[in-house]
Amino acid sequence: MPISYFQGAMLGLLQGVSELFPVSSLGHSVILPKLVGWNIHQKDPYFLTFLVATHLATALVLLAFFWRDWVRIVKGLGRSLREREIAPDDADAKLGWLLVVGTIPAGILGVTLQDKLRNLFGSPEYAAIFLACNGLLLFGAELLRRRAPVTSDDDDTRIAQTVSWRDAGLVGAAQAIALVPGFSRSGASMGGGLLVGLSHKDAARFAFLLATPIILAAAVLKLPDLAGKQGNGVRGPALVGALCAALTAYFAVRFLMRYFETQTLLPFAIYCAAAGTAAAVYFAVS
Amino acid sequence: MNRRLLASLAIVVGIALIVIAIVYWAEPAKSLPSFFPGHQAGSNHHHTKHGIAAFLVGLASFAFAWFNTGPKRSRAA
Repeated sequence: MPISYFQGAMLGLLQGVSELFPVSSLGHSVILPKLVGWNIHQKDPYFLTFLVATHLATALVLLAFFWRDWVRIVKGLGRSLREREIAPDDADAKLGWLLVVGTIPAGILGVTLQDKLRNLFGSPEYAAIFLACNGLLLFGAELLRRRAPVTSDDDDTRIAQTVSWRDAGLVGAAQAIALVPGFSRSGASMGGGLLVGLSHKDAARFAFLLATPIILAAAVLKLPDLAGKQGNGVRGPALVGALCAALTAYFAVRFLMRYFETQTLLPFAIYCAAAGTAAAVYFAVS
Repeated sequence: MNRRLLASLAIVVGIALIVIAIVYWAEPAKSLPSFFPGHQAGSNHHHTKHGIAAFLVGLASFAFAWFNTGPKRSRAA
């Protein structure tokens, strides 16, 4: 069996946390097997198939966690299409279209660059170096962030009022950096959110909403691989991994939404810089 | 640029993207025009994801045109 049940559970637990914490899930999934000496490689088809299951689980948890918000957002999108305008006081419609605008560059860059970047930078050594760079990116976002204006008591209204169409496109495009193992999707979009003037809490909320359709679509499109020949021998561990990923993703998103009410990205920046540097040095000398 | 011209451009772009999506779905990578991302000589792989991305961006272009040709109620208010 290419991945054991124990390895599947460990990788699932790790993926659920690291997908939502701004610390790069892909980077950790590449670095951990090499660190503990598992014979799992990021480019192996069965490993990619395994990741589909854990990503799908994470995306479903995100969708469930923000379900009421998504229902309001989808209704807002429908309302704006019916009325052929985005009313200035319709925060749900504006937020919905901001998410559409943010998803377009992330989707295009993902489709066109994913395979090339992963083939170029898919090794644990590169992932360790880029994890350290991710720490610098988070630190830079904290350093350069704008003071968030308090414009409304409602989260979505604040986001809709603060983020412009251009900002949404830039934050969405920033997610594409996560195609390089070691850089974090949520870290890039949270950092982008801080730079355009969102608070930590709103930046995290916008990042999670923005991540849901992309992760879900990428996982659903790859699901046939899990059901087909590539899934042989991986389905059991993938199911265990998916359940573990769902569990930790739920606690991670719950924790982070509270954490970012008062705290910053700095602890994650320090962790990424330290862990990335330590792993890079270890790989270089071992 | 006036709204009607923008809407016309968005419709043209939308139609082009839908056509591109159909090409991605219908043709293997070896038969795609060489300037298309994903073109690969000798490959029979179908770039379904490229097609879906082009289709969705095409729909977004139509949505943009839809809003730009709508009534100006709140803008006038």
